[in-house]
Amino acid sequence: MGFLINPVAGMGGAVGLKGTDGLAEEAIRRGAVPIAPHRAEAALAELGSIDALFLTASREMGESLLRRSGLRYRVVYEAKENSSSEDTKAASRSFLEEEVDLIVFCGGDGTARDVSEVTGVKVPIIGIPAGVKMHSGVFAISPQAAGDLIREFLRSDLKTRETEIVDVDEEKYRSGTLDTRIYGVAVVPYKPVLVQERKQIYSASSEEDFKREIAIFASEFMRDGSAYILGAGTTTAKIAEVLGLEKTILGVDVVKEGKVICRDASERDLLRIIDEGGRSKIIVSPIGAQGFVLGRGSQQISPQVIRKAGPENLIIVATPHKLKETPRLLVDTGDVDLDETISGRRQVISGYRIAQLKDVAASSRVGTRIHPLKTAVS
Amino acid sequence: MPKRWYNVAADLLTPLDPPLNPQTGKPLVPSDLAAIFPMELIKQEASTERWIDIPDEVREILKLWRPTPLFRAHRLEAHLKTPAKIYYKYEGVSPAGSHKPNTAIAQAYYNMKAGIERIATETGAGQWGSALSMATNFFDLQCRVYMVRASFDQKPYRKSIMQVWGAECVASPSELTNSGRAILKEHPDTGGSLGIAISEAVEDAATHDNTNYALGSVLNHVLLHQTVEGQELKKQMAMVDDYPDVIYGCVGGGSNFPGMCFPFVPDKLKEKKEIRMVACEPAACPTLTKGLYAYDFGDTARLTPLLKMYTLGHDFIPPSIHAGGLRYHGDAPLLCNLVHDGVIEAMSFHQNEVFKAAVTFARTEGIVPAPESSHAIKPAIDDAIACKKTGEEKTIVISLSGHGHFDLSSYDAYFAGNLVDYEYPAELVKQSLAKIPKF
Repeated sequence: MGFLINPVAGMGGAVGLKGTDGLAEEAIRRGAVPIAPHRAEAALAELGSIDALFLTASREMGESLLRRSGLRYRVVYEAKENSSSEDTKAASRSFLEEEVDLIVFCGGDGTARDVSEVTGVKVPIIGIPAGVKMHSGVFAISPQAAGDLIREFLRSDLKTRETEIVDVDEEKYRSGTLDTRIYGVAVVPYKPVLVQERKQIYSASSEEDFKREIAIFASEFMRDGSAYILGAGTTTAKIAEVLGLEKTILGVDVVKEGKVICRDASERDLLRIIDEGGRSKIIVSPIGAQGFVLGRGSQQISPQVIRKAGPENLIIVATPHKLKETPRLLVDTGDVDLDETISGRRQVISGYRIAQLKDVAASSRVGTRIHPLKTAVS
Repeated sequence: MPKRWYNVAADLLTPLDPPLNPQTGKPLVPSDLAAIFPMELIKQEASTERWIDIPDEVREILKLWRPTPLFRAHRLEAHLKTPAKIYYKYEGVSPAGSHKPNTAIAQAYYNMKAGIERIATETGAGQWGSALSMATNFFDLQCRVYMVRASFDQKPYRKSIMQVWGAECVASPSELTNSGRAILKEHPDTGGSLGIAISEAVEDAATHDNTNYALGSVLNHVLLHQTVEGQELKKQMAMVDDYPDVIYGCVGGGSNFPGMCFPFVPDKLKEKKEIRMVACEPAACPTLTKGLYAYDFGDTARLTPLLKMYTLGHDFIPPSIHAGGLRYHGDAPLLCNLVHDGVIEAMSFHQNEVFKAAVTFARTEGIVPAPESSHAIKPAIDDAIACKKTGEEKTIVISLSGHGHFDLSSYDAYFAGNLVDYEYPAELVKQSLAKIPKF
């Protein structure tokens, strides 16, 4: 198991920096104290005695903590004194070369980006939450939960699923604009939450099965001649896969009559297509850990695009697992009136020919903008 | 207690479209059904006689718990502070806990008369299997119930009660049939489905001498046997000099609700009485409110004749809501005919609002209702609350089809906030629906 800590993760939060990327020294100058090592320690404390070999990076990036913990470890990467994002990536590469079964990291969205940039979907990763921002779906709900997941993963075969790596542009974030983007896709182990499953011949239990069900249903109703704008994410990507199409996971594609008519579309492309092509519909899925369906990750689907296509032509899809994990779905298009129009109790396609009613809220109303830590860490 | 069953087929505005043989596309003939049903039941299935006598032997057994009580819900009315009068007719007093024995007894009797020694059937939630176990026991017939494995595991006491009544309850898919073995070979851990259980029971009946098959819903003769309910209701209402303005009943495949309201159909059509009859279904499986009126198979496995009914498509598998008895893609053709002709209305409701109403009912009237039956309580409460504004002293009748003593884990899930409100995406399905066979 690869194990690394971003020692400065989370330090910017307490001193009002909204992220620590490139600002570790400023955070320390402002009096911030390290957070991540404590959180990592709390996660390891959950493990008890386990039969695993930890491969790690030197000093504060893992070695120091593992030495104290009494767990079996070996240093496979020598980190520089003031470790940086480059060290995170290099250590992750070493883990891959050593063919680890799992990579556990302690940090925030920035760390998740660095790790997943190297690992992609080659090896499952688990994030111990310690950052200022944790929008990505790789984070356990708490350090203790992370420890629990690691133990279960080693003991048996937990299911894995793909999830989006999401991060915020910190420069803009500091000036008050929340500009979230999807940066990649990672594989994470997960404990299946109790979803009410269908009593069917071969019960669909894994999240991938439900994504497929949703996709098959979508592939059937998408034959109506409309242009379908497919938002970013793995669920919409599955729809394209079922249709036998290649999808830009991180971008927005447009599909009509079984063909991709625009790949990685910009807002302007979308407006043009709606103007030219008649009836258009939008399919989006919640992105990241907090259940945003609009305004995070697919900014091309702008308020103008939604208004032109008609808010009634907005189709939300999400697996029962995802719906179970988020109390409500969130929208933040940047157009408060439109957010209000879209919010309320809405139908969310959750399987083959079935939907759930789910509360959709304007994020401006529920105040999730500035406190990701509160929601991600119990 | 009524001496005759009432057959609504005699009073329909539009004659019933016949069931079709899926191979030929032609109307079914009695011999098509003779392999699995006794001739008396086949005759009843096709009959348009208005009244059919109930055999004395059947009445003797029904008398164990019939007539069922009609209660005035005084405490619920007081709680709601409504001027409306709320009544409920309670079928949960039967030994099996629901209305299902009304037809189980009759079906077991006719099979016994025909010299049949054994009956095979399927059960989803367990109500029908329990009722038929009791009925076959009374007529010294053997009975094997194929119970969907998922619910077999979830509700172990259902198996226990069937065993008390001398029936054999096996988890489906089982090693006892070809279809069961084939599925198990490929998917040893499957939770089963109603479709598989039907296939097993039908195969069992077709491959054993002296074994017949029995169904607890959908078919005309089943609805016929349930009309004892509505006839009693009419008489009981007359005893207190009242008459329903509206009857609410839950609908899965259609047996309890038709049984309760069919005897009022001629009142509405001939005597022009102003009575509303409202079929209440789950939003997760809204057959009457969102389905298509067309010929479709009665089961997932396409073994049954084609029936003209409202349908969500035989390949639609409803999500596992807690009102397991209402998870059916179609509905009884007789009921569908009357809904199509506007004689009967339909409404649909979500699980959470239904359980909320059920808890209100339990806390005022004492009875813990089955999740299925609670679909009828929800609109009755809404209706009574609306009467507060209008001041109308409306007479509301709830058909309370059964108790919820085997469904307490569902109540647990409700209190824990774990119930999902499912919805059927009708518009999108319509867009994609091209699978129903056309005749």
